[in-house]
Amino acid sequence: MKKIIFYISIVSSAVAVHSCSRDFEEINTNTSKLTNPSVGSLLVPIQYEMATYGYQRANDFSFDIMQVALDFPSEGNTYSRYYLTEGSGSGYWNSSYKWLKQVKNLQIAADKEQNRNYQAIAKVLNAWLTANLTDAFGDVPYSEALSMEKEIMTPKFDKQKDIYTQILNDLKDANQLFDTTKTLSESDIFYNANTDVAGIVKWKKFGNSLSLRLLTRILKRNGEINVNARIQEIVNNPTVYPIFESNADGAGLDISGVAPFLPPIPRPQDFTSYRAAGDFFVQTLVDNNDPRLSKFFTQAKDLSNQDLGYKGAPSGYALGTVFNYTPSNLNQNLAKAPLRILVMTYSELQFILAELSFKGIIAGNTENYYKKGVSSIIEQWGNTVPADYFNNPKVAYNNTLERIMLQKYVSLFFVDHQQWYEQRRTGLPILPNNGGLLNDGKMPQRFMYPSLPRVMNPQNYQQAVQSMGGDDINTLMWWNKP
Amino acid sequence: MHKKTQQIILLSVLGVVSFSNLTAQQTRQKRDTIKNIDEVVVTALGIKRQDKSLGYVAEKVGSEVFEETQNNNWSQALEGKVAGVKIQTAGAGPLGTSRITIRGEKSMNMNENFALIVVDGIPLGNSTTGTGTPAYGAGSGGDLPIDLGNGLNSINPDDIESVTVLKGASAAALYGSRAANGALMITTKSGKSKKGKVSVTFNSYSSFDTVLKWPDWQYEYGQGTMTKDKNGQFYYSYGASADGVSTGGTSSAFGPKFNGQYYFQYDPTVQGQSLQRQLWRAYENNVKDFWEVGSTYSNSVAIEASNDRTNFRTSLTYLTNEWMMPNTGFNRFNVALSFSHKVTDKLRISTKLTFNRTNSDNLPATGYNNQSISYFMIFQNPNVDLSWYKPIWKSGQQQLDQIHPFSSYIDNPYLIAYEMLNGVDKRNIFGNITADYQFNKNFSLMLRSGVEWLNENRTTKRPWSSANYAKGFYREQYIKNQEYNNDVLLSYKGEVNKFSISASAGGSIRYNEYIMTDYRAEGLKTAGLYQLTNAISLITKVPSPYDKQVNSLYGLVNLAYDNKIFVDITGRNDWSSTLPKANRSFFYPSVSTSFILSDIFNIKSSVFNYWKLRGSWAKVGIDGPPYQLENYYDVSDFPGSVNSPNTYANPNLRPKQNTNIEAGMDFGLMKSRINLNFTLYQNYTVDEIFPVTTLWETGYAYRVINGGKIRNRGAEISLDASPFKTKHFSWKVGANWSFNENQIMTLPEEFNGKPFTMSNVGGVVFFNAVVGGSLGDIYGYKLLRNDNGQVVYRSNGLPDRPADVEKVGNAFPKWRAGLQNDFRIKNFTVSFSFDGQYGGVAYSQSHHKMSEQGKLRNTLWGRDNPNGMVVGEGVVKNADGSYSPNTKQVAVSAYYDDYYRRANVETNTFSTDFIKLRDVRIAYSFSKKLIQPLGLEDFTVAVFGKNLWMWTKFPLFDPEVATLDNATITPGVEMGQLPSAKTIGFQFNVKF
Repeated sequence: MKKIIFYISIVSSAVAVHSCSRDFEEINTNTSKLTNPSVGSLLVPIQYEMATYGYQRANDFSFDIMQVALDFPSEGNTYSRYYLTEGSGSGYWNSSYKWLKQVKNLQIAADKEQNRNYQAIAKVLNAWLTANLTDAFGDVPYSEALSMEKEIMTPKFDKQKDIYTQILNDLKDANQLFDTTKTLSESDIFYNANTDVAGIVKWKKFGNSLSLRLLTRILKRNGEINVNARIQEIVNNPTVYPIFESNADGAGLDISGVAPFLPPIPRPQDFTSYRAAGDFFVQTLVDNNDPRLSKFFTQAKDLSNQDLGYKGAPSGYALGTVFNYTPSNLNQNLAKAPLRILVMTYSELQFILAELSFKGIIAGNTENYYKKGVSSIIEQWGNTVPADYFNNPKVAYNNTLERIMLQKYVSLFFVDHQQWYEQRRTGLPILPNNGGLLNDGKMPQRFMYPSLPRVMNPQNYQQAVQSMGGDDINTLMWWNKP
Repeated sequence: MHKKTQQIILLSVLGVVSFSNLTAQQTRQKRDTIKNIDEVVVTALGIKRQDKSLGYVAEKVGSEVFEETQNNNWSQALEGKVAGVKIQTAGAGPLGTSRITIRGEKSMNMNENFALIVVDGIPLGNSTTGTGTPAYGAGSGGDLPIDLGNGLNSINPDDIESVTVLKGASAAALYGSRAANGALMITTKSGKSKKGKVSVTFNSYSSFDTVLKWPDWQYEYGQGTMTKDKNGQFYYSYGASADGVSTGGTSSAFGPKFNGQYYFQYDPTVQGQSLQRQLWRAYENNVKDFWEVGSTYSNSVAIEASNDRTNFRTSLTYLTNEWMMPNTGFNRFNVALSFSHKVTDKLRISTKLTFNRTNSDNLPATGYNNQSISYFMIFQNPNVDLSWYKPIWKSGQQQLDQIHPFSSYIDNPYLIAYEMLNGVDKRNIFGNITADYQFNKNFSLMLRSGVEWLNENRTTKRPWSSANYAKGFYREQYIKNQEYNNDVLLSYKGEVNKFSISASAGGSIRYNEYIMTDYRAEGLKTAGLYQLTNAISLITKVPSPYDKQVNSLYGLVNLAYDNKIFVDITGRNDWSSTLPKANRSFFYPSVSTSFILSDIFNIKSSVFNYWKLRGSWAKVGIDGPPYQLENYYDVSDFPGSVNSPNTYANPNLRPKQNTNIEAGMDFGLMKSRINLNFTLYQNYTVDEIFPVTTLWETGYAYRVINGGKIRNRGAEISLDASPFKTKHFSWKVGANWSFNENQIMTLPEEFNGKPFTMSNVGGVVFFNAVVGGSLGDIYGYKLLRNDNGQVVYRSNGLPDRPADVEKVGNAFPKWRAGLQNDFRIKNFTVSFSFDGQYGGVAYSQSHHKMSEQGKLRNTLWGRDNPNGMVVGEGVVKNADGSYSPNTKQVAVSAYYDDYYRRANVETNTFSTDFIKLRDVRIAYSFSKKLIQPLGLEDFTVAVFGKNLWMWTKFPLFDPEVATLDNATITPGVEMGQLPSAKTIGFQFNVKF
């Protein structure tokens, strides 16, 4: 009997040792994650991910569509030949909504803590990302978007006009909300507003400068929205609505190269392999005598490998073209750390003001704005503006919108989709058709809606298509209709 | 053949102790004697039952199946041998991690369709940890999936006594949720020997692998994109030269034909452009030469002894494998121990313990991204000699800069093999200790405690100048998994008149604790030094757990009348930690019955001697994975920051339910020389738990819901027969055929009967669920056709695009069949088996990319036309809606680029029908007369082959294809598949 008890107790103790002491709720809690993060912990990933994504969009799309660079040699179907598919915009759509969700979570957390600065920042970031998204597609889900918690699985598409109305109002509110006596509680990689209240002032400037970018975009629709009045309100009241006053005020991100601040292009050779710089962009900088030429490009070479100076390849060249030189390529250093990613620059603001004064919407000297726009971007990139820079007839201000928009095109190098949005808005600069463009040589005006919403939200998709007048790359959107 | 006779299996569970003096020779003999209808099988909880009393199918496979052919993964021995059972591997290297499904897929979540593996009564955890990356990762930087094995791999085939396959929910109702998809009950060997004598067995295998099938590469045209020189001729130039700009940077093969021209090409002696023009030629073995003959050697020794109170066995096995890809392979070392002792007449204590260590310095990565040899094979060009890559590093740049002259996208294949190492060291212990106490002839008690401990350390090394890691990368991943199963069972057996009754009641606690820690060195300060202290930046991930507990209570009643009519009733209630409190407890019952009609009707014919009718009904409740109830924020790589959840949690999760009905008949003819089994089954799964794809514009990529109803219906037929049996010659044949039809009956209410996407691979292949459709339906964009079936083209000469995705096919085959033959001629045995499948399809990413780039023979048409222009065969739509033939010329490269574009799922999807000569074996056993004087009981030598021949139309390496997406084996898609092997080997087996 003793033996039996002995053996049974061996087995039972083995069993007892294995019984756990945690209750079911505890077992089912994932200790490697959080359910209630602080408001400040939501900011940095939005800034890093969407700033670096903007850089990648410039590289993957804007360069090609705006003749800054092209796949070379290539006779195939590329963006530089205006070949867009149903999938061309899907990454942009998904990434934008993913980070807009985090912005919304930031806003909810800020509301909960009644933190005015984070509330204002959430509005500014929301306007930045939403404007870029609607400028790429037209009508997009907005008021019903990001509302899974309200069981909305198939959001309706809002009209672009309503979206713009909403975000412009948000930016105005943000301006009032910023409290320049308090710093942020946690990291901020745009302006370090957690260590210095001057950062909060820069956020305010960013919000108002962004307003001017958006208002300028919808200039043609003055009347449906009081565009001109709002512009004047901002520009004429710099104490109430401060805007960028120097390069240091610009919004952007410094990439040190030390993880996690890694350059967006993981393999720098991807930036240059199988590629050439675009002739139109290179020639513009050559005409300008831009001191940044060697920073941006390598020299072209003839067939015996002798330097030919800076000469790009003509974008969308006719099929079967024979090249007797190796064109300039982009400088691989543009993809390596340290680098600064541009979100919105002081220079872009100057070009906005130049155009607005040119059109008589605001007072001010167009030439001065123009010159500041041209100079400040050169300095932003770390170069010095030669003293005689504006003596060059190709650079001097000549009282035309063409000149303003051409130099603005140069200034917007590497700023997400902005070059493309501006070209669609004004038709400037006029880009050459070198014989090999598809789409009848017409600049695509938008991305097609991606396939997932088409398949999974068909009713609202169809309504949006009706309202937009089509879902192809040539459909004009609200701010661009004649 | 797979059914043993006149043997009572020794179980470490209930104290039935009996053993027989088996040697391999007798085993052989046994195989061709008639089936004994009193055969015993192992069922749930390790309870031994007579096969005749079961109302459900329990099919047994004996040890000879595992002993006769060497398999790196024991489950491969089952391929084609058991009706309804599918062994699916990812085709990702030597470890051959597999998922075993029985009777079709029942869940929309790919990871929830596996059968449960039970070893000696203890369920195996079978966790697989992925590398965290998807199979389609090209361009995103980052890592790749690697097949590092899972719990199944560590089972040693030499230690398997038998495997009983319990196919339906009924058979597994007592194992709970995890056995809803069926269970494979593995019994390992215990000691058997002549009374008091110690018996020693030595078994040795050597086998050699070569690649089974190659894609249909073209070697007529070389690298290029149809660029013309100043004379208007197509040309090639590596780097700019007098002939024109460089065309050597492209991965496409739409360059000039190999016609004896001379061009400036890559010259390995200068590691740059050749000084003179060189002959433009193809290197037809420039991929095949990379692959070597793989070898596997395995040796094991087993010692066993037994007497009437004690059984003992121990075995040691060592296996070493070098796989067909250079510098890859693994070693496996197993120690097994089995000990059982009758302490008193009433009490027996048994224990079984297995220790396994699997380790490798390098296993291949798979998938569509750099660091995968599949990626290299896709991008290799016909005019490039493989030997140019052999030096690996540029002169004077060891460990600093690799040779990849054509594109920095493509890592040097020898760099991948020798420097990009994926190592693993896995130590696994599983075992149990059991006490069986027989109170009296009616009552008995069993107490059992089982444990599985896994410790797995992985390393990933990437050198400087890797395409994805310019400054290298190093990762250490530590995985610890523990699972405890404790159960108790009280049983009663009694008889009243012609009724016999047995009843059991019991309970169990299963507890699982898993933790993974991950440290990454992003960038190495000193090249070639793989240590976390050498990191440029060190990222540590917070340890991630995956814990779960299930408590259960159950009861079982078996009634038998006159040994002719049997009824089983079971009931079980589970409480699971992964469900919310309100839905935590769930109950499920089953009923099964069996009628031995031949006894009831007193059939006494020598032709028709056995007839059994059986049927069962069972319900199983199944809980979900942990942590699905709350929305969690992930800790970001930025210190102090978080990322919002991508999956929307469901705090009201319910368990899903599986209901199974089956019925069948078994026949024994000609004194059971011919046995025939038929089974029909139908199975419903409702209230599935799974993450459903949502639109990003809702704020989440997925949400977790309950819903849907899926039905599986099918039939299984198996036959085994001994048409010939004489003293010196016998022939045994077995055949099985199974058919499964899967239908999605309803979808979650949220979708109002409209289709939705369960998952997508690479953004182009959609697994869409549609009411009336099936699991595994593949949707994607097809070619646009008019009503006459002609392909519609646009005015640009390229195929038009349809507006919507359409169904392209289904990933799962409609039916499968297997055929086995065994012949014995005096001392020789010859056996061979075939199996095949019909009706499934798979999308091939490799085919898409290679066709887009002109690497395959299907892209040769049209290239010889003037200027390389073709006109696509089809029609264009006119303004008035009619169609005219297409006449627009396009460049061949633009044509194939668009025709085989990634999103065109139709042109890149192929049937996966196949027939394989799965196993062949010729063995010779020396006669007793010869060997007994040497003190030997048995001495057998054999030659065997595996996968020696295959018929299929699938264009890539193997139609039994699946993709390893992180840790999920996803069938129906090929994304960077590695070659599979045909094997020849030798074995000798000696028993003292």
